[in-house]
Amino acid sequence: MVKLAAKCILAGDPTVGKTALAQIFRSDGAHFQKNYTLTTGVDLVVKTVPVPDTGDSVELFIFDSAGKELFSEMLDKLWESPNVLCLVYDVTSEQSFNSCAKWLEKARAQIPGSSLPGVLVGNKADLAGRRVVDSAQAQAWALGQGLEYFETSVKEMENYEAPFVCLAKQFHHLYQEKVEVFQALV
Amino acid sequence: MRKLDLCLSSEGSEVILATSSDEKHPPENIIDGNPETFWTTTGMFPQEFIIFFHKHVKIERLVIQSYFVRTLRIEKSTSKEPVDFEQWIEKDLIHTEGQLQNEEFVARDGYATYLRFVIISAFDHFASVHSISADGTVISDFA
Ligand SMILES: Nc1nc2c(ncn2[C@@H]2O[C@H](COP(=O)(O)OP(=O)(O)OP(=O)(O)O)[C@@H](O)[C@H]2O)c(=O)[nH]1
Ligand SMILES: [Mg+2]
Repeated sequence: MVKLAAKCILAGDPTVGKTALAQIFRSDGAHFQKNYTLTTGVDLVVKTVPVPDTGDSVELFIFDSAGKELFSEMLDKLWESPNVLCLVYDVTSEQSFNSCAKWLEKARAQIPGSSLPGVLVGNKADLAGRRVVDSAQAQAWALGQGLEYFETSVKEMENYEAPFVCLAKQFHHLYQEKVEVFQALV
Repeated sequence: MRKLDLCLSSEGSEVILATSSDEKHPPENIIDGNPETFWTTTGMFPQEFIIFFHKHVKIERLVIQSYFVRTLRIEKSTSKEPVDFEQWIEKDLIHTEGQLQNEEFVARDGYATYLRFVIISAFDHFASVHSISADGTVISDFA
């Protein structure tokens, strides 16, 4: 049995629902914040996620950071040495989807030479009538980037755990791979 | 005086603290004298472990075998309790793909009862420590 610890950075444009997602996950679906308060620095959410079909778990240290450009310089420090990435966009905003490439690049630049497991999350799936980003298109892009794709509605409390469980699984898998590398050294 | 590997658990040394632990790769593996067994870090850095000699020793040469360790700091204490650690050695290691890091330090002022190893940063998400050995002499046993 092992308990891993992973720094998870939550990235994406302002108002896509990063804070809403982190908070609903933290409170097991008990707490949806309807009113928008922009994140100015970083909020930390810590939660242990069991890895399915193992006795192991991953303690996720979720760094919910500001989407606003104004704060981007601060991010360089807060984003140091990430282990996994949760990239969020809003399915009703083409702009927020287009920004994902930029956020991804910024996150990966933090750990050149190592891989950064990640997921892409299309949030606000409840706003079906206002959807502008097609699921298939987003999924295809995610696949091309080596990210797993999820759609969520934090408001309807739909699917909000799946991206984090997936991140835990990916990080656990990475650990097992590295242990094999260590084993083969001598 | 007889020179020996002071870190070995078979000589009475013990890892009294490690910030991470996988049951399959526990910190005791660092001092079992076998480089095939290892301790893994299991998450974010820094990570550390403390070796207790259970006596006063003088270290002359220290060798650490590891993988993916980038910045390593070693502190030591000469107290009977794990307190009053002072900075001893700090070094940026080199990573060579597929090859165990084999880092040797010739120690100045090697008097110690405890050694604390802090892995400040690594070349990957995880790092491993396979063995630590310290050549030197026993100064005195605890009363
Ligand atoms: N309809 C709908 N609204 C949502 C959903 N998730 C979040 N919101 C709303 O979107 C607004 C912005 O959410 P936040 O979580 O604060 O956005 P953020 O990504 O943290 O924004 P910054 O901190 O500025 O980067 C809030 O009013 C939320 O209530 C959702 O799934 N559906
Ligand atoms: Mg926010």
